[in-house]
Amino acid sequence: MPDKLVIAMPKGALYEDAAARLRLAGIDVPADPGRKLTVTTADGRAELLMLRPTDVPAYVEFGAADCGIVGKDVLWETDRTVSELADLGFGYCRLVVAARRIDRYHEGAPFPTFLRVATKFARSAEAYFAERDLPVELIPLHGSVELSPVVGLADAIVDLVATGKTLREHDMVIVAEIAESTARFVVNPVRFRAKYRSIVDLLARLDAMAAPV
Amino acid sequence: MRLPAGVRDWLPHELARKRDVELIIRAVFGRWAYEEVQTPTFERFDVLEKGLGSELVDQAYRFSDRRATALALRPEMTTPIARLVSTRMREAPLPLRLSYVTPVYRYYDQPQEGRLRELTQGGVELIGSPGLDADAETLFMAIETLDEIGLRDALFDVNHASVVDGILEGVGLAPETALIAKGFMKERNIVALRALEPRLVDFAMTRGGTEVLGFARRVCRTPASIAALDQLAELLRRAQMLGYGARIQVDFALLRDLEYYTGFIFEGYVPEVGFSLCGGGRYDGLLPRFGFNVPAVGWTAGVERLLIALERRGKHAVRRRQRIDVLVSGSDVVAARERAAGNVVRFAGGEFDEAALLADARAHHIPRVVIAANGRVRELRVTPPLDERLPAQTVVAKWDAK
Repeated sequence: MPDKLVIAMPKGALYEDAAARLRLAGIDVPADPGRKLTVTTADGRAELLMLRPTDVPAYVEFGAADCGIVGKDVLWETDRTVSELADLGFGYCRLVVAARRIDRYHEGAPFPTFLRVATKFARSAEAYFAERDLPVELIPLHGSVELSPVVGLADAIVDLVATGKTLREHDMVIVAEIAESTARFVVNPVRFRAKYRSIVDLLARLDAMAAPV
Repeated sequence: MRLPAGVRDWLPHELARKRDVELIIRAVFGRWAYEEVQTPTFERFDVLEKGLGSELVDQAYRFSDRRATALALRPEMTTPIARLVSTRMREAPLPLRLSYVTPVYRYYDQPQEGRLRELTQGGVELIGSPGLDADAETLFMAIETLDEIGLRDALFDVNHASVVDGILEGVGLAPETALIAKGFMKERNIVALRALEPRLVDFAMTRGGTEVLGFARRVCRTPASIAALDQLAELLRRAQMLGYGARIQVDFALLRDLEYYTGFIFEGYVPEVGFSLCGGGRYDGLLPRFGFNVPAVGWTAGVERLLIALERRGKHAVRRRQRIDVLVSGSDVVAARERAAGNVVRFAGGEFDEAALLADARAHHIPRVVIAANGRVRELRVTPPLDERLPAQTVVAKWDAK
């Protein structure tokens, strides 16, 4: 009898794809968990924790969940010790530095000194600018970052871009690309050992169902 | 009135449980003929830096004294013991078997349960023994310790640094790339490993018994890695003889501090807890850094983590309280006699109100009350607190107080 797996699910943008992929791998994930915080699958083989995506790494690191699905962007920001077993390919987006077109920024233009940068990705932004020895003032925000350059709070933003529509709507252009992100299957390092069979089995089924890249 | 992040108090019943675990650890260490040592809580930073891996150097609490000497709280005990042995115990006959059960200090960015900034480690150092016997001794001791604590199904993963090097060499990685690959193996970052060298993915994902060693034999060519595979095979055979066979697995991605371990590596864990409980291995490069050219192997357990594991299993659900045998009032002499007789005595001073004394005795589960007043000593047997309707029974009415 395989071990029951506790899987941390990201609510929000990644949920639908994550649920679909797990269903293909044989785990009966509901299309919409509603307001439920935990769901046990009908066959009893998995318990799903419905979490804010940014909370998934903490649950997995401390073993409250055995494994989980989360965007690489969240892994950069949270710096938790989890093992990344698979790139699931969906949820593609880029972390970029963007600024208003009227500021005459263009790809490759040097950044001015003491740039004020608004972002939800303070850790990644700080690392990016520190690596380039650029002294910037970071303004950590929690939402609608694209507004900040429009109203003069920030000179530039560091944010995730999927289609670029939001940037265009606010008359912003991408100044530099920091990294690309996709959804990852992550696992607690000790649970990988303790529930080895179940995890390797699930991983094989997740990989087998991966869309050809 | 707040405590700083990452440290905690130990209330009497909590400390009693912790001491139980420490007592068991010390008993096992003693049975394996290890002698306990103590080193200062803080040391010169340059000395600690010599022995610590870069991760622990970053985590050390650093400060300076009035003469601006750079100091640090010890983040582990292996380096202080290496310093101690290489300076004060050089003439001691080898091998040396030393142990410790003591707090260490680490600045974790995100302190949480199982990752306190002040934590207690119980561990040993076996110094001056190069071979498999010493490696096996540390592993079997660790298994015995966890068994004694009550974690009889704890699992252990083993690996060997030379096998990992042999695999990396075998798939043709240059030394610089090999170091990056080792970092990914340690994190078991399969996504990054697949991008770097896909042939390593299978090695990072496979774990098991002797059959796994055969898998590595196909790529390992260096004499050191082949010898290491033979050692792991022999270790598994010896473990089998002790009945530990099913509890030990080979895991080539088990890598602890990369700069530290030169040979055998192991870690112990239980399924309920998401972090390892103990671990160790061989670090033959450590003592030479202190100018003493001898090999060393050791292991350490996190006492707080062991307590978490026991708690998750409900093994420590019954909170221990201090056993008190007798409540004495009115006479230092009577109290001293009771203590001399081996009893635990709670002294009530000049309290002679019988009702108050009985209430106090019941509250602390004390079976006897002795009241010395006016040259007379009365002893009362206290009924259990559940049965308070019954009056306490006077068993000895007269007793010489002298």
